[in-house]
Amino acid sequence: MTYVTAHGVTQALAGVSLEVPHGSTVAFVGPSGCGKSSLLKLIAGLLAATAGAIVVDGQPVGGPLKNVGMAFQNPVLLPWRSVLDNVLLPLEILRENGDPRAPALALWRDRAVTLLATVGLTGAERRQPRELSGGMRQRVSLCRALIHAPALLLLDEPFAALDAFTREEMWELYQGLRGQREFTGVLVTHDLREAVFLADTIYVLASDPGRLVHVHRVAIPRPRTLSQVYGAEGSELMRRMREQIRPDRETAA
Amino acid sequence: MSGSRGRRVVLPLAVFVTLVLVWEAVVTLLRVHPVLLPPPSGVALTMVGTAGPIAFHAWHTLVTTLIGFGAAVGLGLLLGFAIGGSATVNDALYPLLVGFNSIPKAAVVPLLVMWFGIGTVPAVLTAFLLAFFPVAVNVAVGLATLEAELRDVLRSLGASRWQIFRKVGVPRTMPLFFASLKVAVSSAFVGSVISETVASNAGIGYLMAVAASDFNTRLAFGGLAVLAAMGVLLYGIFAVIERRMTAWAYAE
Repeated sequence: MTYVTAHGVTQALAGVSLEVPHGSTVAFVGPSGCGKSSLLKLIAGLLAATAGAIVVDGQPVGGPLKNVGMAFQNPVLLPWRSVLDNVLLPLEILRENGDPRAPALALWRDRAVTLLATVGLTGAERRQPRELSGGMRQRVSLCRALIHAPALLLLDEPFAALDAFTREEMWELYQGLRGQREFTGVLVTHDLREAVFLADTIYVLASDPGRLVHVHRVAIPRPRTLSQVYGAEGSELMRRMREQIRPDRETAA
Repeated sequence: MSGSRGRRVVLPLAVFVTLVLVWEAVVTLLRVHPVLLPPPSGVALTMVGTAGPIAFHAWHTLVTTLIGFGAAVGLGLLLGFAIGGSATVNDALYPLLVGFNSIPKAAVVPLLVMWFGIGTVPAVLTAFLLAFFPVAVNVAVGLATLEAELRDVLRSLGASRWQIFRKVGVPRTMPLFFASLKVAVSSAFVGSVISETVASNAGIGYLMAVAASDFNTRLAFGGLAVLAAMGVLLYGIFAVIERRMTAWAYAE
């Protein structure tokens, strides 16, 4: 059971209290400046909460967590490393730190190749990041976030810089990954369609200070299709969320 | 590709040869006094005639430059890593460095001579003083501009500051470091020659100062030609090293 709560976090984020069930994916949506990214950093232990507590897997978060994978809008690959070596970076860190989760060296390559295959990057192992398209780079970034089989995957607008079609491909890819690997996903996004497609639960945040205003359970069964998201059920949910976010924007302006 | 490469070599060479020919023609046709402006052919003859001493002084200048440059690279790296790696060190040292760098280093030579006497030591130190700044700044910039997201990715794996520095900080700083080397080696060269001109008994700078005081314009121009060749060569060597070491930053 993964259990996450953030409670009363300075002016940036206040009175946010929630729980993320193990193996589920939740999304945070809201206007810019509502503390979505701060929330993600709090969960990862990269920021310290001034008040309240964050508990992951029964343990209070006191510093940077180690069983976490992160991916951002900017894929931040290392341009001097091949795709394969970029994906293997987390294992190098774990191994150096004597982390028991680091697999034997002999297994590394296979593990990375298998993971790259699940995101459709078979044969790209030796390529350099600069040779890849934006979508491919983001896939490599996702693989780097997953290579050490983290319990928690934290995604901060991971697909925001991609074109609409590539973004939809990435949603389906994420859905596929959920079927194959066990992780709890926390997604921060501006894109309501993305939230509806990917999340089991959507939290709508408001700004000044960042706070939780609405919770939506997405009832569309899995695996979801794009037509379901763009269909009646998804559209209705998006319409309601848009209304919940917009009045907040107008009062803030 | 090979055509444009040929162009890049042939065109400037053609301009250079033309300029030398024009110079020769003007000096000969207008009967310019050779003490004022000797013809290139005369300069070349003098260079051949004094090849031995010129080689001795050129070697001296080269060694002086490279010692100062080596020390500058060492200190530049250390300072750059410290400034780029720590906001506190940056706030404390960076303004001082910028202030120091705005001093014309030629003005420091008399002080160095006062402390260390006429000779190689002030030349090495002047070379060093001119060369360490570009290295330190480039290395600091390379480290300080590490993407926050990348830092987060690594920290969330339990990476220490040292690991982040080693795995990401150092490699991503290398293109800037190697780019700074060619600037630094040119600066070191300028520094050693300035100091040799003012206060030395060896080196091309010294040779030129002596030649000028003897109104030996041919030899002064000969020294200048050697300096130009050495400067281009040093810059070129480090430009090639830069491309070799950090090809990933230049591809495409």
